Amino acid sequence: MAIITKEKSPDRPAPLSETTPLGWLRINLFSSTFNTGLTLIMLFIVYLTISGVFAWGYLDATFVADKRRECYDNSLTGACWAGVIAWLDNIFYGRYPRDELWRVNLGGVLLVLWMAPLWMSRVKAKVLVGASVIIFYPFLAGYIFTGGDKSWFMQFMVSGAILAFIINMLNMLSGLIENTSFAKFLFKLSGQVEASDKTQRNLLYGVLFAAFIVIFAIQSSWTVTEVSWTKWGGLFLTLVISGIGIASSLPLGIVLALGRRSKLPVVRVLSTGFIEIFRSVPLITVLFMATTMFPLFMPEGFFLNKLVQGIISVVLFNACYMAEIVRAGLQAIPKGQFEGSHTIGLGYWGTMGLVIMPQALKHMIPNIVGNIIGLLKDTTLVSIIGLFDILGMLRSISKDIPWLGLHKEPLVFGAILFFIICFSMSKYSRHLESKLSAGNKR
Amino acid sequence: MSDEIEQRVRPKEKFNFFQDQRVRSALYQILTAGTVGWLIYYLVSNTTKNLQSRGMSTGFDFMDVSAGFDIEFKLMEYTPGVGTYYDVFIIGALNTLLISFFAIILSTILGFFIGVLRLSNNWLVAKVSLTFVEIFRNIPLLIQIVFWYIGVFSLLPVVKKTIDISLGAERILLNNRGLYIAWPVPGETFWMTIAAFFIAITGALIYRRFAHKKQDQSGEQTNILLPSLAVIIILPLIVYFMTGMPLEWDVPVLEGFNFVGGATVAPAFLALLVSLSIYHSAQIAEAVRAGILSVNVGQGDAAKAIGLKSGKVMSLVIIPQAMPSIVPPLISNWMNIVKNSSLAIAIGYPDIVSLFMQTSLNQVGHAVEIVGLTMAFYMLVSLIISVLLNVYNKRVQLVER
Repeated sequence: MAIITKEKSPDRPAPLSETTPLGWLRINLFSSTFNTGLTLIMLFIVYLTISGVFAWGYLDATFVADKRRECYDNSLTGACWAGVIAWLDNIFYGRYPRDELWRVNLGGVLLVLWMAPLWMSRVKAKVLVGASVIIFYPFLAGYIFTGGDKSWFMQFMVSGAILAFIINMLNMLSGLIENTSFAKFLFKLSGQVEASDKTQRNLLYGVLFAAFIVIFAIQSSWTVTEVSWTKWGGLFLTLVISGIGIASSLPLGIVLALGRRSKLPVVRVLSTGFIEIFRSVPLITVLFMATTMFPLFMPEGFFLNKLVQGIISVVLFNACYMAEIVRAGLQAIPKGQFEGSHTIGLGYWGTMGLVIMPQALKHMIPNIVGNIIGLLKDTTLVSIIGLFDILGMLRSISKDIPWLGLHKEPLVFGAILFFIICFSMSKYSRHLESKLSAGNKR
Repeated sequence: MSDEIEQRVRPKEKFNFFQDQRVRSALYQILTAGTVGWLIYYLVSNTTKNLQSRGMSTGFDFMDVSAGFDIEFKLMEYTPGVGTYYDVFIIGALNTLLISFFAIILSTILGFFIGVLRLSNNWLVAKVSLTFVEIFRNIPLLIQIVFWYIGVFSLLPVVKKTIDISLGAERILLNNRGLYIAWPVPGETFWMTIAAFFIAITGALIYRRFAHKKQDQSGEQTNILLPSLAVIIILPLIVYFMTGMPLEWDVPVLEGFNFVGGATVAPAFLALLVSLSIYHSAQIAEAVRAGILSVNVGQGDAAKAIGLKSGKVMSLVIIPQAMPSIVPPLISNWMNIVKNSSLAIAIGYPDIVSLFMQTSLNQVGHAVEIVGLTMAFYMLVSLIISVLLNVYNKRVQLVER
């Protein structure tokens, strides 16, 4: 009694979904009466918001004016961007001398160039590149930003930094062009490819040393005028504080996290106490502690300026959060990894540095980037202790006589600026996360 | 030959002092303790020396000295010149707890709402809530607070053009001096209404239990919500009218240049409340979304298969299973709300940091004591919240099989 049809049954039509714009609309926006209502209400809200913001921020806005009054003459309901535009230099550089702005820009360009090889797949020796940024860049940038006379130590470090930067650039070029590291390229150039390790090493060190001497001689005649830290401000100051905060809170956080997981009770108790104290209080109390108590802590005649106080509190505060992130990352590593590396005879630091940390850091990247974003946002708090970071600058526009009372527009501008920075960072971290975990997917 | 093997199997154990595990661990610990101890000693001795050379006193005696400044927003009696710094500390702490309490409630409700909307199958709704979350997560809280204060609540109409939110009843008024709310003043017999309210709640609870038992035994479902609500609303109302409406309203009235009477909420409080709630609701929404996504898809499918409506699928199957992964980040967000409420200092809301750590510290000095006390307050709050979290985690772990 089986029913057998010889003919092929007709193809069913493709389901409506997704194939046509109309189908997509019906499934995603108008699937039921309730959904239709919701969509319409949402559309109305979105329309109101966007049209309101657009009218305020662009259609009725004034972009060219000398005074706030002129903005009012132009339109009463629109934004007065002219004030923000007039203050752009202040917002970005603070009161840094206008003739010396190139130094701030140069510092930024150097950092970008220095870090760029980290993102290039053909460039070799990335660990060295990263290490050279952390060790040398702060000294070079510190000198470019502050200027003045160089002490012996500064001369030494600045020359080292310049050398490291040049080598880094050469390494990048040889990586991009020849697909080798700079050292290999050097050996090839001098025909020493087949030579023994020792000859090669001697050649490399010789070149480096000669270059160092030359650079040292050149830089000793190079000085830039001194700019006091009180003139620093705006986005520049925010980035300086958060840059130092990021660069030093991660290593400090790793140390604290290792201390908290240590088998030695004294180390464990001390690290745990330190972490928990700083994690349970707001950053603003730490900043106030720095401004009121640090002067008492210091020996007589020794004085920390406000910038250093702010930086120290940001670093200490964020190191504790970093420590908890690192600890969580370490906990995610299975015990077998520890045992395995003990079995092959690695000691504590070998286990941590060669086996555990490289794996754990991969797990931590999203959280670390999240913490960095938080640090960047938290840096605005230093305006409360009287540093003129970006928020301090934005708020002082309203006290400038031509722009008296201009509050909203600068804040909106700052909000947009922060949104762009933080949002792109979080997007990038998500991209990085999926790229790194690609190996774990099956 | 056999000697060689013997030697290889049992190498001679040499006691090397610095290679011994116990010696090394003791050495490291002594080294750490010594360094930290020396650092503390150094800082303390510097501090005492500095305090002496500046002629500053130490100790907590200043707490009993009367403070000379006025406080605009306070939850307890305080007169400048009479109230002590101890009172100032308590007022500040209460203000911090007050703003945190309301911000926690608002942001949790808003966060859950937006977190669920993020997963809506309506494309537009999902994208709009995503935009909301991304915008408010990526802008520094301090900018948001200042914006709400200066850009919104200070630009409200002046007293003469007060907005009446209660639509002409003049019970809730809003202007640039703050929010004025008519405040109930209970009469003598009002306690009976309250008692009736509690009796109604107890009755509803008993009814609910009864209904659940019935469902367990017979599978029959009874509607609980409607009868309970009816009882809870109607019973107190009946008592209220029978006792002759013993409740008067302290209505804000315009007197001279300002409103008098009722409860007043300062613009700074409103700005702080709104910005804290919105900022943290964005964070909580992400936690809620992650928690819901962490529940296996099969759970929702199975719940639909046994015929539950989509609302019931959420409330009976998905949310209960998502809770263990939602609650820890939720509670850490609550902790952050308490800590972030300290940003009130930027707009002049008198919380513990601005009252005690700034104003009082500027007046009396005693930096070490004041900083210590303020930090101790925050640590205590964090401790209490983390104890709550641990209790919850224990309970969840017990339920797990």
